[in-house]
Amino acid sequence: MIGLDIHEPQSLEEAFALLGDDESTARPMGGGTALMLMMKARLFKPSALVSLAKADPRFHGIHLSSDGKAFTIGAMTTFAALEHHDAIAKHLPVITQTMVTLANPRVRNVATIGGNLAHADPHLDLPPVWLSLDSSIRTIGPAGERIVPLADFFAGYYETNLLPGELIMQVHVPVSPGWRRRYVKITTRSAHDWPAVGIALGLQMQAELCTDVRIVLSAATDRPLRLEAAESILRGQKLTPGRIADAAQATGDIHIESDSRGSADYKAHLLKVHLARALQDLSE
Amino acid sequence: MATITAGSQIGRSIPRLESRDKVTGRAEYTHHLKLPGMLYGKIFRSTMPHAKIRKVDTSAAAALPGVYRVVTIDDIRTVIPHPYYGPAFHDQPVLADGKVRFAGEPVAVVLASDPAVAEEALGLIEAEYEELPAVYDELEAASSPHLVHDELKPAATFPDLQHLKGRRGTNIALDYKMRRGNVDAAFASADHVFEHEFRTQQVMHVPMEPFVTVADVANGQATLHTASQGPSFVRIEIARLLGWPENRVRVKVPHLGGGFGGKLYIKLEALVTSLSLLVARPVKISLTMEEQFFMVTRHPCTFRIKSAVTKAGKITARKCEVWWNGGAYADIGPRVTQKAGFTSAGPYDIENVWIDSFAVYTNRPPCGALRGFGAPQTAWAYECHMDMMARELDLDPVAFRRMNMLRNGRPQAGGTVMEDADIEASMDLALERIGWNAPLERVSGNIRRGRGIAIGFKGITAPTTSVAIVNVYADGSCVLYISTVDMGQGSDTVMAQIVGEVLNLDPEKIKVIHPDTDVTPYDMGTLGSRSTYHMGTAVRLAAEDAKNKIEELARDLDMPPGSNLPVAELLRKKYGMQAGNIIGTGSFMPDYQKPDPETGQTRKATPFWGVGASSAEVEIDMETGEFKVTKLVNIADVGVPINPKLVEAQLSGAGIMQYGFTTIENMIFRDGQLTNGSLADYKIPSLLDMPKVFINEATRSNQKDGPFGAKGAGESTTIALSPAIGNAIADAIGVHIPDLPVTPEAVYRAIQSLKNAGGH
Repeated sequence: MIGLDIHEPQSLEEAFALLGDDESTARPMGGGTALMLMMKARLFKPSALVSLAKADPRFHGIHLSSDGKAFTIGAMTTFAALEHHDAIAKHLPVITQTMVTLANPRVRNVATIGGNLAHADPHLDLPPVWLSLDSSIRTIGPAGERIVPLADFFAGYYETNLLPGELIMQVHVPVSPGWRRRYVKITTRSAHDWPAVGIALGLQMQAELCTDVRIVLSAATDRPLRLEAAESILRGQKLTPGRIADAAQATGDIHIESDSRGSADYKAHLLKVHLARALQDLSE
Repeated sequence: MATITAGSQIGRSIPRLESRDKVTGRAEYTHHLKLPGMLYGKIFRSTMPHAKIRKVDTSAAAALPGVYRVVTIDDIRTVIPHPYYGPAFHDQPVLADGKVRFAGEPVAVVLASDPAVAEEALGLIEAEYEELPAVYDELEAASSPHLVHDELKPAATFPDLQHLKGRRGTNIALDYKMRRGNVDAAFASADHVFEHEFRTQQVMHVPMEPFVTVADVANGQATLHTASQGPSFVRIEIARLLGWPENRVRVKVPHLGGGFGGKLYIKLEALVTSLSLLVARPVKISLTMEEQFFMVTRHPCTFRIKSAVTKAGKITARKCEVWWNGGAYADIGPRVTQKAGFTSAGPYDIENVWIDSFAVYTNRPPCGALRGFGAPQTAWAYECHMDMMARELDLDPVAFRRMNMLRNGRPQAGGTVMEDADIEASMDLALERIGWNAPLERVSGNIRRGRGIAIGFKGITAPTTSVAIVNVYADGSCVLYISTVDMGQGSDTVMAQIVGEVLNLDPEKIKVIHPDTDVTPYDMGTLGSRSTYHMGTAVRLAAEDAKNKIEELARDLDMPPGSNLPVAELLRKKYGMQAGNIIGTGSFMPDYQKPDPETGQTRKATPFWGVGASSAEVEIDMETGEFKVTKLVNIADVGVPINPKLVEAQLSGAGIMQYGFTTIENMIFRDGQLTNGSLADYKIPSLLDMPKVFINEATRSNQKDGPFGAKGAGESTTIALSPAIGNAIADAIGVHIPDLPVTPEAVYRAIQSLKNAGGH
């Protein structure tokens, strides 16, 4: 068949029907930025695209809970909407900070956070940040809804643990006052390249003590990865230069692949240096 | 008509004539063109780098509803018995003929009225190959028994290549030689001898407008609408391919969305013309951005350079061995090999010079001209080599260059006496603008800083010809017919300024007719920084011819000298009504003497010299190798800038491009397969990557025989930029990186190897 059908279902039931069963090559579409590249490169040829723009109001909106403890963000929210949202800038400034380095305004105007997660390309900037924020996603499928911690969501290179027919509906992000956060994007070619190494960091400090910490590595591995060995060296400790160096060294066992952005051992080196620097910076 | 004071058009930064059309979306591009009954072609490409074709099964594709026809070389041969083309060698088949020579080579074409149908049908073609051993590296290929071509097939249009005809058993397509003095004796008696090897990578032009051609062949006439930098050459080569006289081939070129040397000579035109001839309908092929990586690229190069130097720092001998990786088809590579080989010893006054420059076939996408015609690859080597020697000899790199610099009035290594080449003035200005003598905080924390300087030059393709026609209409308005292609460089504007200067007209009111070979006269091509000098001179001569004819007409009409009656009134007096034309023609071919094939010596190798100097300041993160070019200065000698703003745009544009080739861009292959052939993975610089201080400036110079003192500006800043950055990095970290691109990882490895060697 030449070309493909594009649908814009008005209900979830209609969307599920259009997406079909496990064998179907119909695909849900958010902003389409990643999907179009894959289709253009003939890596993927869907029979139909099903836009989720009008399927359910819960796919939209950025809501802070009444107790102020968590955001619920619709999966069809564009990066630009997130970037320019005042409450996000106030409570999750690391997201606003990340947006500036992410792709370009044209992409940010259409790409959606749900599509970005479902794409599961390890080079993407936002997934490690969500993960470092202890986010979870609400999925919906013909069999009902699920809450999936993001830590359990990524299965590998371009792979997720979404069940057949399931859609990402919302992202839940706890607000964590008192945490210091940063996303470090390390590119080795042009500024607008995908990262060779991405590091999402969160530090909870009480006086000089690091009471809790999140370190997530992306781009160099097949999926965003919590660096728990490094975290455990820091948790409950004073962040002395020596301890930070130990934590950076504890990243040595991670399996990193060589690619056009750098060899495996160079990327491992970049991770060590930039992790140590960011920890030092954040702890001060 | 506004009256303009004579002499006021040169040095005026008037906006480009086409600006309004471009920003309002009115400018004409081949991509917009649709002809009635037109078919779209999509190309099925080889997945093998080197293989015999056992079988191409097109039946399923042909059976797809909407497919008009699927075409292979066998079909082409029914209308063109010998379907091979190319500017230097007739080595490239219109479609793969019995074997494929690089992964990405066109094997078949699907034609359909709907491009989406053609695209879909590509997936139904099946090709069976018998894989052959392949060669990818220029040094390996030079001595490999695995041959890309069985026999060399030089084009008859290049008489100096005829000795290569029929040569078999080699991948070396051309060997260029230059010999001056006695190199061996000089090396034997030298105080110091230095030898270094440098390599550059394969990169692509990335024009924003990909290649596109529409051909309409019917009733013994061929009309091509094509994004080409060389319409006159396309006409000649298509006429040869078809066996037709030139007047039955018409080539039209509207605006181009960038060319940079990629759209030269003959590219898609051969295939699309063959297809239209075969099916007797108009055919259009528009490449995707991704397909451009398989059309033409810049040569990777290995350069072994060796110099003899006295204790005082005088270079007494230099030996250059340059290996050009030309890819699977010669394109204009043999000319790159000669022209860049010719200047590969650098802008230095050296008594004994030995140059060997080799064009080598490999199983990679073809390589050709790219903004500098090989000069950037050679300058990377000779200018890094200069700094490496200066470091070893503990000489100041600037003083070392000054001591050896080639100056006006002295013969270049090939024997041509250098004239109007402001090399030293360019270097001095580059030093001044970077603040060479200002203090530099060399170390702060993990950061080390350094500065680098480099100079470079190039010869200009010769001998070449340009022809121009100026037509003054009965109302005194004026058009200019030229085959120079305005691809964004602003040639329409500059040529109009030249006419305006001679005829005392407002250049903004002169209309420049875009190339149409039925209408505009011959031009060798918009290439190699030649248009302003060559076409500019032809245009000046045409305008002067028109001016003389106007004066003649005034005399014939018995006008008193100096009466200065407007042309419109003169013509009205002559014809009794608004009628007639004044036509001025101009033709220009600069002086040239063919070099001796054994020694490369000649009294006149190049009409003028392209000259560039660059300086850079960098800061390096010594822990990671990440670096920032904090200042970048490019200075060029362009003679008298006719339009200073356009000159600056040319210099900065070339600078941004070469900056990408220096630090970012690299076509990466695995087993002959390009692994990053899309803009998602092949990165080019954006403005965010450019140094905060980025200065591009022309020296105050004069090319005495150029039009109003001008010469070309398109390539000058590509020459010295890379080594300026390489030298700045070496100044900061203490060691040179011999290969391009200079990436953070390469810098990191260099720092590590220095540490391991116990350096500091």
